[in-house]
Amino acid sequence: MTVALALTEVSFTYPEGEAPALADVTLEVPEGIFALATGPTGAGKSTLLRTANGLVPHFTGGTFAGRVRVAGRDTLAHAPRELADTVAFVPQDPAASFVLDRVEDELAYGMENLAVPPERMRRRVEEMLDLLGIEPLRDRSVRSISGGERQRVAIGAALAAGPRVLVLDEPTSQLDPQGAEDVMAALQRLVHDHGMTVLLAEHRLERVAGFVDMAIGVTDGSVEAGEPGEVLARLGGGPPVARLGRLAGWNRVPLTVREARATGMRPLGPPSARSVPALGDPLLIARGLAAGYDDGPEVLRRIDLQIRQGEVVALMGRNGAGKSTLLRCLAGSMQPTEGGVRVPARAPRPGVDVALCPQEPESILFNDTVEGEIAATLAALDSERPHPDPGEILDRLRIRALARRHPRDTSAGQRLLVATAAVAATGAPILLLDEPTRGLDPGSKDRLAAFLRDHAAGGGAVVIATHDVELAAAAATRVVMLAGGELIADGTPGQVLGDSHVFAPQMTRAFGPGWLTPEQVAAALS
Amino acid sequence: MHPGAWITWATCAGVVAFTTTNPWYLVVLVAASWFVYAAHRVEGPAARSFRVFLLFGLVTMLVRTALVFFGTIDAASVAFAALEGARLAVILVVFGTFNAVTDPFGVLRLAPRRFHEPALAAALALSIAPRTIASVRRVREAQAMRGIVVHRWRTLPALVVPVLETGMEEAMTLAESMDARGHGRGRRSRYRPQPWTSAGIATAMTAVAAAGVFVIASARGLGDLHPSTDPLEWPRVAPALVGTIIAVAIPGVFRRSGP
Amino acid sequence: MRPSPLRMAVLIAANLLGLLAFLWPFVLPLGGPAAHQADAPVILVGLLVLLGAVLFVELGRGGLGPKAVALIGVLGAAMVALRLPGFVAGFSAMFIVVLVAGNSFGAGFGFLLGALGTFASGLFLGGLGPWLPFQMVAVGWVGMGAGLLPRDSRTSWRVRIGALAAYGFVAGYVFGAIMNLWMWPFLAGESALSWDPAAGAATNLHHYLTYYAATSFAWDTFRAVGNAGLVIALGRPLLGSLDRASRRMRLDVREPQPAT
Repeated sequence: MTVALALTEVSFTYPEGEAPALADVTLEVPEGIFALATGPTGAGKSTLLRTANGLVPHFTGGTFAGRVRVAGRDTLAHAPRELADTVAFVPQDPAASFVLDRVEDELAYGMENLAVPPERMRRRVEEMLDLLGIEPLRDRSVRSISGGERQRVAIGAALAAGPRVLVLDEPTSQLDPQGAEDVMAALQRLVHDHGMTVLLAEHRLERVAGFVDMAIGVTDGSVEAGEPGEVLARLGGGPPVARLGRLAGWNRVPLTVREARATGMRPLGPPSARSVPALGDPLLIARGLAAGYDDGPEVLRRIDLQIRQGEVVALMGRNGAGKSTLLRCLAGSMQPTEGGVRVPARAPRPGVDVALCPQEPESILFNDTVEGEIAATLAALDSERPHPDPGEILDRLRIRALARRHPRDTSAGQRLLVATAAVAATGAPILLLDEPTRGLDPGSKDRLAAFLRDHAAGGGAVVIATHDVELAAAAATRVVMLAGGELIADGTPGQVLGDSHVFAPQMTRAFGPGWLTPEQVAAALS
Repeated sequence: MHPGAWITWATCAGVVAFTTTNPWYLVVLVAASWFVYAAHRVEGPAARSFRVFLLFGLVTMLVRTALVFFGTIDAASVAFAALEGARLAVILVVFGTFNAVTDPFGVLRLAPRRFHEPALAAALALSIAPRTIASVRRVREAQAMRGIVVHRWRTLPALVVPVLETGMEEAMTLAESMDARGHGRGRRSRYRPQPWTSAGIATAMTAVAAAGVFVIASARGLGDLHPSTDPLEWPRVAPALVGTIIAVAIPGVFRRSGP
Repeated sequence: MRPSPLRMAVLIAANLLGLLAFLWPFVLPLGGPAAHQADAPVILVGLLVLLGAVLFVELGRGGLGPKAVALIGVLGAAMVALRLPGFVAGFSAMFIVVLVAGNSFGAGFGFLLGALGTFASGLFLGGLGPWLPFQMVAVGWVGMGAGLLPRDSRTSWRVRIGALAAYGFVAGYVFGAIMNLWMWPFLAGESALSWDPAAGAATNLHHYLTYYAATSFAWDTFRAVGNAGLVIALGRPLLGSLDRASRRMRLDVREPQPAT
């Protein structure tokens, strides 16, 4: 089989880096393969991806040794722009990667640079529109389409110039389950039907593990590649089914729900009811809430919701279902058109009763150090209110080691933890988080979940808007489902997630309603 | 219509206005501009340009006239200043029309190959700007949700630093994506360039002809282009020149086609 | 990177030519009747377009590259956004972007950003017209000057911010004075404030200063004070961000170093 991408003894250190980001990496990705690079944040996944088209080292600078060949071409001898017809690269945030305004023009941009003749360009653009199912978007502005559509446009724009190797950095991190499924299906079609080689980095293995032929585990700059099951087993990560396989000590670690079922092992009967914490006093009460933007249609329709002390509520639903709008109303930053929110004696005051960590956690970070960020929140508090201890917050999120680092120099997962700390420092009893799992590696996710459970157990309450069913299964005491601005389900995770096709966690899919986490199933099996 | 046609139209209509201070010609030219504007105005903030420039033109005319009061004041100098001001105002109206009828991205696509990169940078600025504005709104709200209300100079960093930092990170992503897609390889081709339609050609040609007529009339002193203000006289009109200006309104006859 | 002496000479010559385009009422010995005023602005717009072309080609020789294009796009978008709210009188917040970016990324970048950001905001807001080349060059100069101030790693923050604030203050007036200049002969009519083709440069300068004081001084004071105030309030964090970005983006990287 021909080799699409070959790294030979590659070492690389960033210009201001101390430790090498890649250390003596040798790797071969055969042609026509769907490969996954995974590993903890900051381990070198992004760096590895960027060697494939020479962004490392041409774009970044730094010290580079060894040799990378993509479709036989040496990346040290060819700058990224010269490899544009050989290898395509899709960065993590497609919205920021668009160069032109119209979808159709964006698809053609790469070919214009390669001086492709106009007639051929026109044909290729039409092919891309069909291949990725984005024909209806051709005249739209790239700023006005949904996240999943953006990702597919970015893939089309990268592929239009005809490269045979496609590299993507966390392509599903910003998508809801359905959007992620569409993108993965499109990628699989490229591999199976068109013989492309695809290499992607991803944290959410439950979304991708079933699609890939090969896994590349990246830890501390070194790499091991092989059959996905073996690599993920050694790496200690993997989707929930893999975690179950390890917990239960199975010989073969399953990667998909189907493989987990095939083992034939399943717990007897339905799970014993989880101990439901006694319901506390209501902290936040929304009645008959309706909201909308300007002249647009209603985004929320008569929502009644009570958040009680001790609850961790997962707010779920597809993109555009009204999750963020509901959070904004609960936080008091948006005026509902009908109904209202009370806490319970008065309207909520932002930063006092309720605090919200936004969808882009970076958008509140403005200090030079992590501890400075906490101090900035404390400085804005009323002097008569009790000030939380900044050190304790950092400890509870286990980011004390980052205290003197620049918040923007940390990984995506760490940034979220820092922003959460800055928000929690308000001391507000009700914490709201909007999509906190973007780019979050499993380790950071566990820390966040533990912190949120502690916060609720300590007399507060938490509401998380999320697409991440596994986080909801692991951390939430209650799941509220929105669709079209209406509340369509409200109950324990077992009830709500067990009753859903799209939002069922892997354990539910494998073993039936009520089973949520690998730990729970493993305990029942033993 | 091809943006080149609009650039030619605006330049030539501007030249026509520049060659005369005769109020009759100027009034007809404003009417012609309005006719064109009404038929072709785009959607978006730029469409306001016509009214804004008209207003701005009137202010310019007033200022120009008011400055007379620093010198000798008599009917002749006031009239002279007012007509000079009117000429400037009409130039503004012509460009207001131009702004209200052209697609900015279309103008940028006209850049010759040598200026591909500067034009691309300007196009990026245009398409990123709405995102920046949204980012300002988002950051302000997000900071309020952690108790930091941005309202005075001292609290401004909490707003502008995240906006700038996010922008810088996006610039990095953008640059990578451009590099990976072959930006700067030298030779380029162009995807679906906008064709010159017969309407565009007619627009450009009549505008050039009108400008030519007025330049010749100006050089030969024909048509009372600059009516006497000392002594103050009623301006005369040459019907042929009025007809020429009416011809400048030709693009208003063609309907706007396509997005 | 440091430009070669020849390029430096071309750049300086182009800028002098541009200055001439603004200063023509003092410099050109037209001497003739007022009728000849008509030709001057046409020639001047042409001159300025030529200057712009020379500068863009020169500064972008060998290509601006994706990093500079992307940065100008993002910072230019900030200029467009800041021009929207219509700040009080002549004070336009977009100058703060040009000042700090010119100071952080250098004179050449400052010029390109100033000029292109102004062009983009003209396009966005529908402000295209014969004045645009003048505006572009004048804002470009503001950015260029900011890049010529002390800005290396040995300069203390106090000195760097102080110099930039003082520069922003002066630039606020100079920008206004220069932008008014090219239209002055058409606007001022015949009075003690007006351009007199027959008089010498000294008389005209005197006339112009009176005209400027009467029409624009108060207006420009907003801009000068606004520039200085914003630099003092935001200069440190903004320059910090931009300096970091310029290190992280490795704007100076051309070729990777092979490991030894």
